[in-house]
This record gives sequence, structure tokens and C-alpha cells, in this order.
Amino acid sequence: MNITPDPWIWLSALLTLAIFSFLFRDNILYQFAEHLFVGASAGYLIAITWHNQMVPNLFEPLFIQGNIVYIIPLLFGLCYFARFIPKIGYLVRLPIAFLLGWGSGAIIPALFQRDILKQTQGTLFTIEAFAKWDTGLWAVIMLVGVISVLIYFFFSQERKGIMKPVANLGIIFLMLGFGASFGYTVMSRISLLIGRLQFLLGPWLGIIE
Amino acid sequence: MNIFKALTKIPRQVIYVVIAIAIMIPLLKPIGLPIRIMPKSQRLFAAIDSLGPQSNPILISIDFDPQSMPELYPMLVAVLRHCFARDIKVIVMSLWPQGPGLAEIALAQIPKEFNKEYGKDFVFLGYKFGVTAILLGMGDNIKSVFPVDYHGTPLDSIEITAHIQNYDDLSLMITLSAGDPGWRAWLLFAQARYNARVGIGVTAVSAADVYPYVETGQVVGLLAGMKGASEYEILVHEHGYSEGKRTAAQGMDAQSLGHLVIMVFIIIGNIGYFVTRRKK
Repeated sequence: MNITPDPWIWLSALLTLAIFSFLFRDNILYQFAEHLFVGASAGYLIAITWHNQMVPNLFEPLFIQGNIVYIIPLLFGLCYFARFIPKIGYLVRLPIAFLLGWGSGAIIPALFQRDILKQTQGTLFTIEAFAKWDTGLWAVIMLVGVISVLIYFFFSQERKGIMKPVANLGIIFLMLGFGASFGYTVMSRISLLIGRLQFLLGPWLGIIE
Repeated sequence: MNIFKALTKIPRQVIYVVIAIAIMIPLLKPIGLPIRIMPKSQRLFAAIDSLGPQSNPILISIDFDPQSMPELYPMLVAVLRHCFARDIKVIVMSLWPQGPGLAEIALAQIPKEFNKEYGKDFVFLGYKFGVTAILLGMGDNIKSVFPVDYHGTPLDSIEITAHIQNYDDLSLMITLSAGDPGWRAWLLFAQARYNARVGIGVTAVSAADVYPYVETGQVVGLLAGMKGASEYEILVHEHGYSEGKRTAAQGMDAQSLGHLVIMVFIIIGNIGYFVTRRKK
């Protein structure tokens, strides 16, 4: 065991233990660490937004380089604060309308390409998919899965006849998907615990390398 | 209270302690359980391995914060080692405000292992706010979005970036992503809109969401959580690219044992539940 004399590692380790203490029950040490984290995060975000965003993208071009065009985004941004003055509160709609219009135009075509066209193509049978028996089998399973899940979410017709078993098959595919997601979630949370234990046993206590 | 009822009422503190012990034991005394390389990780490795000194640079986006370090930071280290060992030039950026701190740690350590020089072999662009404008802008002109690097040096005067215009001049984009903004935005704008080659490393929570995009070929390769990071570390090690520390691989014994304990608790809880329900 080779405990570090580094005060920053000590601080980090003690804050980690303070957060872990919540697993026993809520307590003042946990609350202190939680509030410290929220405060430090907010302060960091404000500082980095100011230095990385506001200064180089607005104040420098407008006030130092004298580029008058930048007054337009400044006014648009200030319109957000109009909400605090009831008489001119309607001005907030201007930047929101601009962002919605621009955002929709930029995102919708790309979203259609990413999630509809390419994903639909992925379910189609191709010669390459059947080049090997296993890839062919997976292609068939994928198509059956997509169709059965889509039928499960088709609510315009009563589930009778062929619709019922196909929708039930869709439930099985959905459950498999949820199971995979849950398994990965457990894996992720365990990974976070491993990371902290590696830190406590390594840099802090010096038990492991 | 009979034993089956007791099984459904195990205090959570007991469960936490058992899991913590189960994870700590293999960290203190590694078991050496085998790690199988998944095809999705192999594909990302192969994509980078096919590049060399003459290839266009790779762009790595650090889209995570310190909370996700156990899963994503080992990926960053392993990918950087792979790139530098193959003399591939690397451009690093971040869509998360906490990214620059993590990039500074990695870029202070890994390039030294391979005697790589800032500006000639790698460059760090820093963090920018506004994901849509950033990624769409980079598809048109990277220098309009990042006129200067993290240290304020104009990109035109840096060797790697002097001749780079947009995504077409990059071999591959890799996002190490813990949420939004991250892999979804890179796929949406860089891949779907500009047809760029995108590789993804995600926390295990997001892995199942990325699978459909890997199957359709929209994603070059995928590293999923600590497991994906450990696979990449092993690939880099087995190919003789680096003898550096493999943090994720060290944690995989603990990961497996932790899963085993959770499975045992799930089975115990279910047995207790079904037996007590039948008695009622």
C-alpha cells in the first residue's frame, strides 16, 4: 500500500466516498458533495460558454473588429430577454421562429435519410446478404422482426386472425430489444463503479497499478 | 418470515456491499478471463489499420465528460495509440464543454509515447457550442467553424490543417459519445448529409441504439462500453502497436464477476417472489 500525498487526489477520493455514502442513506456529506458538483459544473459551463462562444463569436467581431453585421444576432439573442417585460414579451417569438425554421430545414432531410431511407434499405434482401447462410438467416430474422413490430404498433385494426400471432411475435422481438438495452445499462453502471474503484485502489491507496 | 419471503426482502445495502466486494476482488487479484473480440470492434480497428502516413487525418470528437471516463477514456487512449503507431495524423475536437480537459490529459501523455509533435502529427481544435451549426459548417468549411486551434493558432498556419477544407479531406471521423450532442448528431449531419465515414464509441447504455446503424453500414465500426474499449486495447496490444497500460481490459474481470452477482440476485429474487406468490 502506497497512499498518495497529493491533496487533489485526496479531495477527489473523499468526494467519491461522500457520494457513495448515499447508498447507505441520504446524509450531509452526500448533500455537500452533490451541491459542490452542481455549483462547480454550472460555474464551469458559464465560464467556458463566455470564453469559447460569446467572446470569439460575438463580442470580438462586433466590438473589436467593428463588424456591424453581428448586431443582428445580438438583437436576436436579446429578444429572448423580452419575456421578462410583458409589454414586449411577443418579441421572444422572433428568435424562436428563426431557430425552428432553420432547425427544421436543416434536420428533417438528414433525419429522413438517416432513419428512414437507410434503415429501410437495411431490411431489404440483397444478393450480398445471402452470400453466406448465416448472414442470409440474419437478414430474414431482421425482416420478420421489423414487420412484426410494425404490426404490433398498427392500432387501426383489431388484432384478429393473422394479425394476432404476428403482433405477439412483435412483442417477443420488442422484449429481446428491451432485454439487450437493460443488459447494456447494467454493464454501463458496473463500468462506472469499476472506474471509481480503480481510482480509489490505484492513484489514492496505491494498492493496484 | 420464511426463507422465500426473506429472499424478496434482501436489504439494498447488502446487495451493494456484495457487488462492491465482487468487483474489488478481481481488481486486486486478476482472474484473467478471456475477452472475445466482437466483429463491430474489429471493423473499426480494420478501418483505422488500413490507413497510414499518407492518408488524410482522422478526426476524433471527445463528446463525453468525466462521469463517462471509465468507459470512453480508454477508447480514446487506445485509438490514439493505434493512430500514432501507424503514423496517422489526428485532429481532436469536442462537442462537450468538459471535453477539452479530457483531451489535454490524453494529448499530454499519448503523443509522448510515440514522439509525436503538435501541429505536425496532431492538433486540438477545442470545444465549440451549437452542434447543428458546427457539424453542418464543418461539412462546408472546417476553418470557418474553427478558424484557430485550442491555443489560438490559425489553422492555416498548422501543418496538418493547412490544406483541409471539409469532411472530404478527412479519412474517418470517430465520435466517443456519452449522449447528446454525440453520435446521433455525427450520423445525422456528417454521415447522412455529407456521406462522411463515421466510427462510434459509446457508453454501454447507448450501444443497443447504435446497432441498427452498424448493420446498415452507416457506421464503420462500434466500440460498446468498457467491453468495446478493452477489445480495442487488446487489438492494439496484439498487433504490437503499444505496450501501454490497458485500463479497460484490467476492469473486465470485475465486470464479468459483477454481472454474475447481479444475475444471482435476480434469480434469488425471482425464486422468492414466485414461491411466496404460489403460497398465497
